[in-house]
Amino acid sequence: MAYEPPVTDYDEIVENGTCAFCGCNCDDLDFLVKDGHVVGVRHACRLGASKVMEDMDQRLLVPMIRDENGELQEVDWDTALDKAAELIANAVRPIFYGWSETSIETMKHGIRLGELVGAVLDNQATICHGPSLQAVQNVGYPVATLGEIKNRADMIVYTGSNPMNSHPRHLSRYSTFPRGWFRQRGRFDRTLVTMDPKYSDTAKMSDIWIGFEQNGDYGFYNAIRAALRGKEIDQDFVSGIPKEDIMELAEAMKNVQFGALYFGLGLTHTLSKQRNIDMAIEMLADLNKYTKWVLTPMRGHFNVNGFNIFMAYEMGFPYGVDFCRGYPRYMNGETNTIDLLTRKECDVFMVIAADPGAHYPGGAVKHLAEIPVIQVDIHWGPSTEIADVVLPGSFIGVECAGTSYRMDGVPIHMKKAVDKPETCRDDEWIIRELHERVQKIKAEEAAVASK
Amino acid sequence: MTYIEKPVVPKVVKLEEPTATEREVLNMMLNTGSDIYQGACKKRGSTCKDEYRKVCGVAYMDPKDMARLGVSNWDTVKVTTDWGEVIVSAVHSRDAPHEGTIFIPKGPWANVITSHETYCCCDPTYKGIYCTVETSDEEVLLMADLMRAVYKKYVVDEETIPELESLGEMPVYKKK
Amino acid sequence: MEYILKNGIVYDPANNIAGEKKDVMFKDGKIVEQVSSDAKVLDVTDKIVMPAGVDPHAHIAGPKLVVGRIYRPEDSRKGVTSKKGVCRSESGFSIPSCPATGYRYSRMGYGTVTEAAVPPLEAKHTHEEIMAIPNVDVTPLPLFGNNWFVLQWAKEGKIDEIAAFVASWLRIVKGYGIKIVNPCGTEAWGWGGNVHGIDDPVPYFDVTAREVVRALAQANEKLGLPHSIHVHPNDLGHPGNYPTTVNTLDCVKDIAKNGSKRNQTIHLTHAQFHSYAGTSWRDVESGAKEVADYINNNKHVTCDIGQVTLDETTTMTADGPMEFDLHELNGLKWANKDIELETGSGIVPFIYSGKAPVPSFQWGVGLELFLRIKDPWQVCLTTDHPNAGPFIRYPRIISWLMSNERRQEMMDNGEVRVWSYKRTGLGTLDREYDFNEIATITRASAAKIYGYQDRGELTPGYNADIAVYDINPNDIDPSKEPAAIEHAFGNAMYTIKDGQILVKDGEVVKVVPSHTIWTDVKGFEEQEKTVMEEVMPTFRRFYTVKFENYQVQDHFTPNPIVTEVQAGK
Repeated sequence: MAYEPPVTDYDEIVENGTCAFCGCNCDDLDFLVKDGHVVGVRHACRLGASKVMEDMDQRLLVPMIRDENGELQEVDWDTALDKAAELIANAVRPIFYGWSETSIETMKHGIRLGELVGAVLDNQATICHGPSLQAVQNVGYPVATLGEIKNRADMIVYTGSNPMNSHPRHLSRYSTFPRGWFRQRGRFDRTLVTMDPKYSDTAKMSDIWIGFEQNGDYGFYNAIRAALRGKEIDQDFVSGIPKEDIMELAEAMKNVQFGALYFGLGLTHTLSKQRNIDMAIEMLADLNKYTKWVLTPMRGHFNVNGFNIFMAYEMGFPYGVDFCRGYPRYMNGETNTIDLLTRKECDVFMVIAADPGAHYPGGAVKHLAEIPVIQVDIHWGPSTEIADVVLPGSFIGVECAGTSYRMDGVPIHMKKAVDKPETCRDDEWIIRELHERVQKIKAEEAAVASK
Repeated sequence: MTYIEKPVVPKVVKLEEPTATEREVLNMMLNTGSDIYQGACKKRGSTCKDEYRKVCGVAYMDPKDMARLGVSNWDTVKVTTDWGEVIVSAVHSRDAPHEGTIFIPKGPWANVITSHETYCCCDPTYKGIYCTVETSDEEVLLMADLMRAVYKKYVVDEETIPELESLGEMPVYKKK
Repeated sequence: MEYILKNGIVYDPANNIAGEKKDVMFKDGKIVEQVSSDAKVLDVTDKIVMPAGVDPHAHIAGPKLVVGRIYRPEDSRKGVTSKKGVCRSESGFSIPSCPATGYRYSRMGYGTVTEAAVPPLEAKHTHEEIMAIPNVDVTPLPLFGNNWFVLQWAKEGKIDEIAAFVASWLRIVKGYGIKIVNPCGTEAWGWGGNVHGIDDPVPYFDVTAREVVRALAQANEKLGLPHSIHVHPNDLGHPGNYPTTVNTLDCVKDIAKNGSKRNQTIHLTHAQFHSYAGTSWRDVESGAKEVADYINNNKHVTCDIGQVTLDETTTMTADGPMEFDLHELNGLKWANKDIELETGSGIVPFIYSGKAPVPSFQWGVGLELFLRIKDPWQVCLTTDHPNAGPFIRYPRIISWLMSNERRQEMMDNGEVRVWSYKRTGLGTLDREYDFNEIATITRASAAKIYGYQDRGELTPGYNADIAVYDINPNDIDPSKEPAAIEHAFGNAMYTIKDGQILVKDGEVVKVVPSHTIWTDVKGFEEQEKTVMEEVMPTFRRFYTVKFENYQVQDHFTPNPIVTEVQAGK
C-alpha cells in the first residue's frame, strides 16, 4: 500500500461520528470536512475508512428506470417513485429485503408499507446470522455488552470468525487490546484463542489456535462439553484435534475469571448451520457452572442487529416476517428470502441498502433476473445490473442521521456530518414517499371496487 | 483514489517433494466468506472496477496445490461445483498451509458456484462445498460483464453474449 | 371538546369517593367541575367509573423484552391477530409486541405504566420501544443499584455525589426515578457470583447492599424525587429470604421523607418473590405474614405484589444470577445480558403450573400478601409482568381478590396444589376486596406512590384519564361471579385518555402516541457539574461509547411529560 500523507487541508472536524460499516459501530470517528465534503476520516479502520472515503464514480446520484432496451435511463424522482409504487401496489408476493445499512427511522416506514401490501420483510440476517438466531431460539442467548468484556475478560475466543478481516477494530477497541477496569495491562492480561479451520489473520496473532477440521465445529464443541462435564472422550482425535488438547483447553476455559466467546459466519455457513451454534451456546451455559462466560455473535452490518430488534419490538419476530395473510408470520425455511426466491414465489423484489447481486447464491439471483427489482442504495453495484428501478439514497452516519444497534444491542444515534448530494434523497424520505404513493393507489383501487 | 491494486500474496513456491506429480484437475473444498480487501472494495462502491475483480474474482489456494495444478499467481482457473462454474484467478493464500481447500471471497464470482440450499433454515451453504479446480485460458470477467453473462436479465439473444462489448469499469446508463 | 360521563358509579379513592352515583366531566383533556350545555353526553348509568389504571411495575419496553421476543417466537405466535380497524397486528402472550402492549393495556382501562428497569447505556432502546407503544404513558426507571460510580461512592458514604449523579443521569437517560435490583448481587454476577443478604460485600468494590440502598435512599430524599427508591431486594425467589426483605425495608427507616405527595421512602417491588421462609424448596413456607406485618406497622414502606397467574411466561429481570439459578432449576433456555459498568439481566421461560407445588405455593404467597396488608394505599396490583404472569391477567387477579369462594374452589378442586394452602396462610384468610379497594390498588395507590400530580384521581385539573367498566356494582356479587368481574375489568366499556375515547366496548377505537414521563431536577446544577468532572475520565476510559453518543437525544422522547423537581424542596 502506497504511503499517503495525512490530510491537513480541511475546514472543520466533526467529532464522535459513528462508523457505518460493521457491527462494531465505532462511534469515535472524526470526519475532516472541507467545502461540505468529507476529505478524511480519523480513527476508522481500513473498512470504515474505505466506506467513508467512497468511490464517487459509482455513487448513485439520480433515479433511474430500465427502458424497453434494457438500459437504465435517468428519470425525475416522481417518475421513478410512481413506477416503484405501481410495482409494489400490484405485487402479489413482494419481498422487501435489506435494511441492515439504513436507519431504524427508515424501517418504521418500511414496516408500514409491508403491512399495507402484505410483503415479506427480511434482512441480511437471513444469509448471515439467521442460524445464530435460530440457535438462540433453541437454547438461549447469554450475551454481554462489549464494555463488559473490555473491563473484565481474561480469555477471548473467536470461533468461525476472522475479526482482523471483517471487524478490524474489534480486538483493539473492545476485546483484546484495550485496558479495562479489571485488566489494566490490556493484551497482557488476556489469553486470545481462535478456533477456525483457517489459519486466519486473527489466528496468526492469537495465543492459541485450534484449527479443527472443516465442518468439524459440531464435534469439537461436543467434545469440549464432554470434557467440561467430566466425561471420558473415547476417540483419540475429535475433529482433527487430539483428545489431550481438548481436555487441556476445557480445563483452561473453566479456570478463567471471565471468558468471552465471539462467533461468526464460520459456524452459520457450514453444513450443520444452527446446530453448530446450539452446541457453542450450550457449551457456554456449561461453562457458567464454573465461572463467568458470555458470547456475542459477530454481526456484520452496522444495523443488522437493529433490524432484528426493530422487527421484534414491532411484530414479535426478528426477521423473515411475512405479512401476506394480514398478520405476521415467521417460519424458517418458508418465509425467508433465499427460500422464497429459489421457490420462485416472489414477484416484486425491493432491496434497501443491501446488495443481493453481490451476496446471494446464484440460484437465488436467477429468480431476481426474472422479476422486477427496485433498488434503494447509495452505490452502483452488482444489484444495479439487475435492477429495474433505482432510487439513490443517502449515506447514514455521514450524510444523514439515524439510529442503529451495535452487535451487542447498544443503540447509537449516528449523527450527520455533511449534506447529501443534492439529487439524492434520504432513505427515510424515499420509503415514506413509496408508502404514501402505494396508499394512494390502494385507496383508488378500493374506491373503484366499491362502485 | 484506491488503497490497493492487488492483494498482497507471496511469491511462487515450488513443490517441496520432487516426486509429486502435476495434475489437471484438483478435487477441493470451497469456502467463501468476507475478507478485508473484498469488504473495503465493495463498501467503497468500486464494484465495476478491475480492482473488485482482483479482490473477489480470485481463488486463494495453497501454494502446493497451485504447484500441483501448474499455475502461478494470477493465472486463471475454472472452479466447478454442482451449482455452476466460474473463471477466477488463482493466487497464493496468505493463510496457507491449507491443502485441499480454496477460498473465494464473497462476491458475484463466488455466488455462481455456491449452494443456495438452505436445508430449511434460511441460510444458504456458503462454506464447505465440494469443487474441482482446473486450469483455464479464459479471462476473468469484470463484474458487470459477469452479471450479464450469468443472469442474462436484459440480454435479447443469449447466443450473442460472448461477442458483446464489455460494459467496462464505469456505470452505464443514459443521462437525461 | 367537552364531555360528560353521566350517572356512573364513581370510585375515586384519592377524593374519598367510594361508589357514589355522580357525573364526571372533562374538557380539552382535563377533568373539570362544570361543562357547558354543548357537552357530549356519554351515558354510563350504573356502570363503574374509575380513574384510568396506573401500573407501578412492569417490563414492557427495552433490551430485555426484545431479547425475549427474539428468542421466544413460540410466545410471539401465541398472541397473533390480524390487523383490524385502527389496530395493527398483535403478537405475543407474555412478551407482546409494542403495539399489542399498548392496545391490551388500553382495553383493560389502563393509562399509565412504569417500565421498571432501564439500563442507562441502552436507554435509547427503551425509548424507541416506548415510541412504538401506543395509548399508555410510560414512566421509565433507570437502574442505579449496581452502577460502579454509585458502588464506589456508597462505600465512601458520598451522598452528595450520588445525588448529583442521579440528577444528571435522570436527565441524560430521560428517567423518572431510582430503580435498584439485587444491589451488589448483579455486580457480583459480573464474575458469575451473587451476594446473600444485605450485609454480604460484593467482590472488589467491597460494599454491601445495605450501604447501597441507604445511600441511594438518602440521595433520593436529598433531591426530593417524586418517587421513592424502587427496590428489588437481594435473594429473590430463595426460600428463607424474608429476613433479607424485612432488613432491607428496615435499613432506610430512619431516613426522613422529602417528597410532597408520597408517604413512603422505599417501595418494595414484587413482594411475593421476597416473602419465603424455610431453608430449601423442600421445606419452604410462606413468609408473607412477617413481611405483611412489617408493612402494616411501618408507613415508610409501600409494595407491589408480583402475583403468580399460573401461566407459561417469560421471566426477565436485571437480577442476572437469579435467572441463571432458575435456568439450572428448570433447564429451559437461558438468556443473559450484562451491561458494562451498570447492570446485568437474565431471561428464562417459566411455566407456573397449578399442577406443580412450587407455583401453587407462590400463587398462595402472593394472595396472602394481598389479604394481609391492611392499608390498600400501601399495596399495588402487579404481576411484575411478565415475570409472574402477563399483565392481561390483572382482571383475573381482581376476581380472585374479590372472591374468597373462588379461591377456596381453586384450592379444593385441584386447580392449584396443596402447597397453596398447606405452606401458606391463604386457607385461613377470607377477606374479600371491595370495588373501592380494587380502585385503590390498581390506580390510586400507584399514582400516589409515584407522586403523580396529573393522574390517578378524578380531581378537576387532572388529566381526563378515565376507565368505565360494564358492571353495576350494586347489582353484582363479586364473590359469586368471578368470571363476570374478570370479563368486565378486561374489556373496558370506555377507556379515556387525555379526554380522548381510545376504547369503546372492549375494542380499541383510537390510537394515540404515548408520553414519556421523566424527572428533571433543578437547583443542583453546581453539584452536577462537579460530579461530571469526576465521572468523565472514568467514563472515557471504561465505557465503549462516547459520552455524546451515550445521551438520549431529545427526539427519542417526542411527547415528554417532564416532572420538574426543585432539589431539596
